[in-house]
Amino acid sequence: MTAQKDSAGTGEDITLKGVSKTFATASGPLPVLRDIDLHIKAGEFVSFVGPSGCGKSTLLNIIAGLVRHDSGTVTVGGKPPREGRDDIGFMLQKSVLMPWLNVTKNVELPFVISRRRGPKTAGRIAELLALVGLSDYATLNAWELSGGMQQRVALARALALDPKVMLMDEPFSALDEFKREHLNIEVADMSDRFGQTTILVTHSISEAVLMSDRIIALGANPGRIVGDIAVDLPRPRNPDMVGSDPFQKISNEVRAALLGKVEAN
Amino acid sequence: MTFSLWYRIGLPVLVAVVLVAIWQFLSVAGVLNPVTFPSPFEIARAFGTLVTRGYFWDATWITLSETLFGFIIGASLGLVIGALTGTFRTFRTAFYPWVVAFQNTPRVALAPIFLTWFGFGITSKIVMAAVICFFPVVINTVAGIAGVDENAKTLFRTLGASKTQTFFRLTLPGASAVAFAGIKTALTLALLGAIVGEFVGASEGLGVLIKELNFQLEVAMGFAVVLFLAGIGLALYGLIELVEKRLITWARD
Ligand SMILES: Nc1ncnc2c1ncn2[C@@H]1O[C@H](COP(=O)(O)OP(=O)(O)OP(=O)(O)O)[C@@H](O)[C@H]1O
Ligand SMILES: [Mg+2]
Repeated sequence: MTAQKDSAGTGEDITLKGVSKTFATASGPLPVLRDIDLHIKAGEFVSFVGPSGCGKSTLLNIIAGLVRHDSGTVTVGGKPPREGRDDIGFMLQKSVLMPWLNVTKNVELPFVISRRRGPKTAGRIAELLALVGLSDYATLNAWELSGGMQQRVALARALALDPKVMLMDEPFSALDEFKREHLNIEVADMSDRFGQTTILVTHSISEAVLMSDRIIALGANPGRIVGDIAVDLPRPRNPDMVGSDPFQKISNEVRAALLGKVEAN
Repeated sequence: MTFSLWYRIGLPVLVAVVLVAIWQFLSVAGVLNPVTFPSPFEIARAFGTLVTRGYFWDATWITLSETLFGFIIGASLGLVIGALTGTFRTFRTAFYPWVVAFQNTPRVALAPIFLTWFGFGITSKIVMAAVICFFPVVINTVAGIAGVDENAKTLFRTLGASKTQTFFRLTLPGASAVAFAGIKTALTLALLGAIVGEFVGASEGLGVLIKELNFQLEVAMGFAVVLFLAGIGLALYGLIELVEKRLITWARD
């Protein structure tokens, strides 16, 4: 519709080769990631699952350009990651809306920061709010919204500059079961429709299976890839798939990979 | 709703009425010495006399000016130093220990020194008020900045925000609620600073008036001035709360 949407339908490749990261901590060096090799195709929806502290967020932050890796190479769309690349959208566990801004102003923030607010911005924001189902809430204050609605605003904000890559760190984990499943499906559909490359960090295996094309299981100490499981469920996804046999089979594969077992039951 | 409002306002008013009634009763009964402990009625009458006197309003004007100038200077400096301290690590490391050290010394003890430096005029009182105001504002501004949500900082980084953008669009508004609590304290303290300054040495002001009235054993008038000061304190606090409500609309839970 607008100029910004020209790029829709084309995600970007993400490539990691031999990526390692050690944090310097008070109690000495802490190896967090060792030798991560991973290629994510443009438009793919990939989830990172693994035990707490295994380095999922660190890996995502490296791809976002928030954390520098020690060795190896990382490219997103052929270029090294960097903060403030407008082809990369980022979503956190907390919605982190600015309480002093209303819904519209919160979604406008990426335009303001990147000095790209223009005559088309208002139209684009209206479009984004419609997309996340918040058109009627445009002028409300951030703190007047429910948790689920706040996370929708955060989603609209992450989508604002029409990123080709979406990086999400447990964005649904603060929501109740019902809202969570609802948003799972919406986000999965959206990323399918826009063709973005998406990485989702999650603790929930069923959320990962429900949304992803592919699940990367990470093991801890130091973080490494212990499983790479394809999810060949049809799209669009729907919540009814959760109980199905193929869904269970994939879930079990992921669980087995995380537990270090060779075969699933 | 109406009940709770009546309750919240009515109950403290009732307490005041009862206390004043007891006071008045003890005065009439001759328990309290009318010279050193005048009755509420006497105080009210003294106040009625005071408000017709030009010198009373001159003194009020002087004390208010000292308070407000001191407040504006002290709070502004506090905000600037607080922002620098909260934002720049080197600045924090170099200065914050001194702020904390001074915070714990009784600053009114400086009043005689300021008198020597700045004289009997209003300058020494403005300085006293400003110095007292400064500390709560610095400390709260630093605390407010330290309290800015880490996740929000991460978000600003992912958006590629510059340091200036982060400061003006995140740090400043994010810290403002806590900083403002310090500003509110500061305004109350400014009045205290001005009065203490006047007690230590001045030729004009409500503090001077209280001292003089006491010397002349005009205790009822002295009381009236003290109550008037309490009123000024309340009014200033009400005003600053109004400003706060206008500026920080989001922090009400
Ligand atoms: N900036 C840092 N400095 C030092 N250690 C860090 C830093 N960031 C993360 N770590 C450590 O690295 C390890 C991996 O952290 P990370 O947040 O990536 O784990 P995670 O898999 O996302 O965990 P969770 O599921 O709990 O979110 C942890 O042991 C953590 O304490
Ligand atoms: Mg994490």
